[in-house]
Amino acid sequence: MKILVFAERNAALAELCSGARALGTQVEAIVIGALDVPVDADKVYSIPAQADVMLEDYTESVAAIMDKAGAALLMVEPTKRCKVIAGRIAAMKGTSVITDIMEISAGLETKRMVYGGMAIRKEKAASGTMIAMVGPGVLVASTAAPVQGAVETVAFVEPSAKIKVVGRQKKPKVSVNLPSAKRVIGVGRGVGKEEDLAMIREFADAVNGEVGCSRPIAEAEKWLPKEAYIGVSGLMIAPEVYVAVGISGQIQHMVGVNRAKTIIAINKDKNAPIFKQADYGIVGDLYKVVPALVKQLK
Amino acid sequence: MQIITCFKVVPEEQDIEVNSSGSLSFERAKLTISAYDLNAIEVGAQLAEAHGANLVGLSAGAANIDESKLKKNALSRGPESLYLVADNGLADMDTYQTAAVLQAAIAKIGVYDLVLCGEGSADLYAQQVGVQLGQMLNVPTINSVSKVTLEGQHVIVERTLEDEVETLEIALPAVISVTSDINLPRIPSMKQILAAGKKESTTWTGADIGLSSPVKSIETIETKAPKQTDRKQEIVEGDSDEAVQKFLEKIAKELK
Repeated sequence: MKILVFAERNAALAELCSGARALGTQVEAIVIGALDVPVDADKVYSIPAQADVMLEDYTESVAAIMDKAGAALLMVEPTKRCKVIAGRIAAMKGTSVITDIMEISAGLETKRMVYGGMAIRKEKAASGTMIAMVGPGVLVASTAAPVQGAVETVAFVEPSAKIKVVGRQKKPKVSVNLPSAKRVIGVGRGVGKEEDLAMIREFADAVNGEVGCSRPIAEAEKWLPKEAYIGVSGLMIAPEVYVAVGISGQIQHMVGVNRAKTIIAINKDKNAPIFKQADYGIVGDLYKVVPALVKQLK
Repeated sequence: MQIITCFKVVPEEQDIEVNSSGSLSFERAKLTISAYDLNAIEVGAQLAEAHGANLVGLSAGAANIDESKLKKNALSRGPESLYLVADNGLADMDTYQTAAVLQAAIAKIGVYDLVLCGEGSADLYAQQVGVQLGQMLNVPTINSVSKVTLEGQHVIVERTLEDEVETLEIALPAVISVTSDINLPRIPSMKQILAAGKKESTTWTGADIGLSSPVKSIETIETKAPKQTDRKQEIVEGDSDEAVQKFLEKIAKELK
């Protein structure tokens, strides 16, 4: 079986190619311009880099390579840009993209989260070429040394509709690094005002933790950057300890913290679903509990 | 200027039940407008209000999406009229099927300058329908849009990516998918709810749009609730000094 791989970043391309070895007999990579890392691929298709075009403008070129290569599976890195490219190609080919895959078997059966994390859906392509978006860490890297085959330069195909890039700004570096934090304090709607976050930060400092939040806090209130949002369409974290403060425990949030070793909950509503999913909890007013904890922990 | 906002009707998540086998039961699940699509409707409503454009709502799915409460809910949020493609042949569609049906419906509606979609649906969140629809309509399409400004025959959009924010100029007609933090969808006022009842709504079958059973491209093998990690559930009740002390004793070693 031949697998074709496309990614926005070369590091991800190398990772996907290496992982694809376990699934297919033939692995071929698509790159724009030149490669700056070695990839484990039997063949590399190189589309000449164009001036002043966005990555999405290579969609038609990637589709043309797919026709040429005749692969059973196109594996794509799950970035926002690649979601446009993969989706547009799928529309051209009369198929759908299986996005954000958690697992893929040798028989190309995939698993992904559905219903806000309430369920895992197993699915496969019904016919034709399968297009799947596979994140880092899903595939097991091959242990063999990468062997890179010949590079074939293919022509750039003019896009049917161009979008003009007016400007680009790097996002400011976010100071939170939740995925690598050992302890995370999550804030939810139970925290009433933005200034009350000071108390939460003090608590986080006392336990050497980072502060994250549920979706409304990041998106509706905008008290914390989107990078701090934990949940189904945000971060999935696996800290040693997760303390949920004023979080009710909706499934969409909990899938983001299910892998925490220990979950601790502080919530004044006895019936909040969080208590069913916590190792330790206290049914009480967070405005009393948190300062008391900080005092004791210090 | 005509703007079409597409929205998906999904089961209310809180009403979905997990059977003992791990499969899901939707029997008690009310239908609702997918949360992320409320942002797309709101974008459409604001643009329509600011530029005197006509906003139309469009949805496709099983026959049960043709329900008066749902239609009123959608219409109370800004669209002047509604089109539904409601047909049991269109139940549980994959993203290609959904985009194909929306494309056929838009062709039948006939006029559009801008199509808005939510970033992904609340139930499956594949984040694909908008881009597939754009490709099928053969117009520019982009996702992850966090701001939209209409300027004559094009839109200026801000697009938030993993580590950068782009400003793009897109010629109309176009299809754009907007993020869930682009706005706060309105809570319809009494007046808007009452007005919604008087607005026009058209329901088509698959046959009416010439697409009664688009071909499936994804086969679902099973949908099951994952095994939950067993948690200790040692809960202290109350926030008296003693209760907090007891709680602290329990968690002290975890937080040391």
